[in-house]
Amino acid sequence: MVDIHLDAIINGRKVSRDVKPHLRLLDFLRDDLNLTGNKEGCGAGECGTCSVFVDGVLMKSCLMPVAKAQGATVDTIESLAKSGELSVLQKAFHKAGASQCGYCIPGMVMAATAALRANPFADREEIKERLGGNICRCTGYQKIFDAVELARDVQNGRVPATALLETDTADGEVIGKNVRRIDAPSKVSGRLKYAGDMTMPGMLHVQVLRSPHAHARIVSIDTSAALAMDGVESVITAADVPGKDGFGVFVHDQPIMARGKVRYVGEAIAAVAAEDALTAKRAVAAIKVVYEQLAPVFDPDEAMLPGAPVVHDYAPDNITKHIPIRVGDVEAGFAASDLVIEESYSTQAIEHAYLEPEAGLAYVDHDDVVTVVSPSQNITHHRHMLARIIDKPISKVRFIMSPVGGGFGGKEDMIYQGMLALLAMKTMRPVRLVYTREESIISTAKRHPSRTTLRMGLMRDGRIRALAMRMVCDGGAYGLSTEGVMRKAAILAAGPYAIPNVQIDTYGIYTNNTPSGAFRSFGALQTQFATESQLDIAAERLGLDPFEIRRINAMRDGDMTHTKQKLGSVSLMRALEAAEQASRWEAGAPTVRGPSRGDLNHDDVRPSVTLGTRFASGDASSEAAE
Amino acid sequence: MLICDEYLTPASLDEAFAAMERHRGRYRVVAGCTDTLPWAREGRAGDVEIPVLIDVTKIPELNERHVGDTRVRLGAATPIQRFLDDAALGRAMPAMPRCAVWFADDQIRAQATLGGNAVNASPAADATPCLEAHDAIVELASSKGRRSMPLREFITGPGKTQLAEGELLTGFECDAFPGYGGSFEKVGHRRSLVISVVCLAVMVKLDRDGRTIEDTRLAIAGIRPVPRRLREIEDLLRGKPLAGALLEEAADMPLDLVQSRSRQEYRRDVVRGFLVRGLIAAAKRAGASPDALTRELEAAYG
Repeated sequence: MVDIHLDAIINGRKVSRDVKPHLRLLDFLRDDLNLTGNKEGCGAGECGTCSVFVDGVLMKSCLMPVAKAQGATVDTIESLAKSGELSVLQKAFHKAGASQCGYCIPGMVMAATAALRANPFADREEIKERLGGNICRCTGYQKIFDAVELARDVQNGRVPATALLETDTADGEVIGKNVRRIDAPSKVSGRLKYAGDMTMPGMLHVQVLRSPHAHARIVSIDTSAALAMDGVESVITAADVPGKDGFGVFVHDQPIMARGKVRYVGEAIAAVAAEDALTAKRAVAAIKVVYEQLAPVFDPDEAMLPGAPVVHDYAPDNITKHIPIRVGDVEAGFAASDLVIEESYSTQAIEHAYLEPEAGLAYVDHDDVVTVVSPSQNITHHRHMLARIIDKPISKVRFIMSPVGGGFGGKEDMIYQGMLALLAMKTMRPVRLVYTREESIISTAKRHPSRTTLRMGLMRDGRIRALAMRMVCDGGAYGLSTEGVMRKAAILAAGPYAIPNVQIDTYGIYTNNTPSGAFRSFGALQTQFATESQLDIAAERLGLDPFEIRRINAMRDGDMTHTKQKLGSVSLMRALEAAEQASRWEAGAPTVRGPSRGDLNHDDVRPSVTLGTRFASGDASSEAAE
Repeated sequence: MLICDEYLTPASLDEAFAAMERHRGRYRVVAGCTDTLPWAREGRAGDVEIPVLIDVTKIPELNERHVGDTRVRLGAATPIQRFLDDAALGRAMPAMPRCAVWFADDQIRAQATLGGNAVNASPAADATPCLEAHDAIVELASSKGRRSMPLREFITGPGKTQLAEGELLTGFECDAFPGYGGSFEKVGHRRSLVISVVCLAVMVKLDRDGRTIEDTRLAIAGIRPVPRRLREIEDLLRGKPLAGALLEEAADMPLDLVQSRSRQEYRRDVVRGFLVRGLIAAAKRAGASPDALTRELEAAYG
């Protein structure tokens, strides 16, 4: 490789050094200069966590070869609060609560800074447009736009600078008050270190070999060529696991790397620790695996048929978990009903898409404590599982939870921490693994795809007499949280409605698809999508107002749920009323709402999607005839 | 991951040609890199090892800009953002600022180049239909000499062009259309950073009263392998009084425009709406008489 000699001014300091020619500006800033405030969220220019100023122009540093910064002035998020004093925009983000996980926020602050530089009087729509290259997964953007508007108004003197400060809370009361988040300054300044930002002296970089096959027996793994490469410190496979391999939230069916066979595309097979990520990547490519293809099964309904390929020997019927609930007599309920509706519903796999891809750092400390630092959402459970897997007493295993750059349930599973612990033990050096966005999407858990059939029996007045639901979920190749998801799905399937006769069956099924796991709402979404949709259909068929049919069936204070939980207070009626008002609901059956509907086109309703507000604001002097 | 052993930034065309000759068979020419870097990732090309990358964005000729009364010449390394920053350029190419605002996002268009958009020859490219509407001529150069050809001949299919081995796209020469109103209609899955499902460039010139269409240019992309000028519609509109019925007649011409592999019916609906909406917007920016188009028409296509 021919190094580039780079001369640049970075955050006001002269930098002159040799850099590898294949680095992107982002790599150089983060890895060579340790300026980790700007993050890598996607590596493909989609998310904007890496946005930095190059000669005063905001650029995505993941799309810029470092050589392009030759002679340039580069400013990162670290330049905005150099002496520790936050910029007006950063203070406004703090004040407005415009940070949750914080991972997108350095990029957002940079984009907002660029937006107000381009037009100090930009209105909210123009701010939205100018921030269009940056993605946030947590906030829903409104607080971010609030923050930029607040900063704009303070900068223009329309609002006093005191508006950026904490609202006085007399006598120190905070409950019910709008207080600033205590962790926001670290996020708006980029100073908060996520796992992928952390380094340790002597640290090795980890890359993972993943399965190209959905279902195959592993005949042999030859790591000799990889191990022989310069800079490769260790290569591990399932054979290196010293203890009882297997993790999972309910059933420990997943080895830390494929053992004997692979069960989905993207499953980890081997991991390499090397002096740098590129060497580790090349070593991964040098590992030879011989597979014997097995028949795969991708459809959960097919997986339940006799003779279907078996994913796990312990579950010959491929059922991860079946949760049945029986209340009353549904057949009698249907017989007594005036109307019986039967429909099918399906939902698809969904990626959590947290802005922070999985990352972790592991080391063995001076007291031989195996330590894993990662954004795990369940460190105590992980610690217990890992102790068994690496055959150590619990006192010699430590988990440190790094800031979670978005989880939504997707970081509950111990998918990669076992490999890191093992490599730290093998090499006795710190090791770090940072997933690419693609790796995160390919290999980690998704929301359970579902197929639901729902029968609902109702009386003419709208009361539900009976509900029978059968939901089959694709749990994918490993159990993870499937059992819990099926439980919650079943418990909440009938919704907040008093129904005398209920029959619910939820099934989590093994297939050779990407594993399904925890995801916000944890199964409730899938079953309630069916129940709520069916209530709308029922309202139409019975000529009832959709809100009314829900009120008729609502559980009240003191009611018993169909899983025998007594409810002290039920807020459903208040929630329905609030939703009815906020949506300007026009009372009546769904069929009576026509072209004269009055709920649309109000000032607080967002207009159709377009771009170009900056032309209207006069910024684009390039207009021909306007 | 894009891996190279050497990253060269030639300062002149001659230096670039020498490097291309020296590393024949081992190099790739890059400009803004906003497509190349995402291409070299898992799911697309994967990890790509190219011994030598030759970055042409620092070559002065590729950054030239000349805006005349009738012609515009732009170097191939012109960043898309320039159409928003350079008022004179925006006046000469009135659909282009509207196109630029839809192109990727504020940050990527500071880096992405006009030449890269043409050489990539994506059926969904945003800038190429605009260039096509300007009858753009591409200028090519190699160590052996120079040649030029119309953009419509240069782009031969998805990802395919007439660029020869050892040759660089150096610039574009376009007709200038000062006084025209421009519009650009685009739809994708979201606003920013989105690949066009349909995109349409429109320019309209009206008479002094804003009532007669003196000239118009339309080109569409995203719905067929290469961008297409809509000369049939231009011919229909030219010289006619501006009226809603005329615009709808133009949109209803049976041209069989949609030849994409997917979502044909949806695209047909979009194309019809875009044609009317784009013509309304461009006509208004060209100074259409306030009573030439009815409010109902605008509401229907807004």
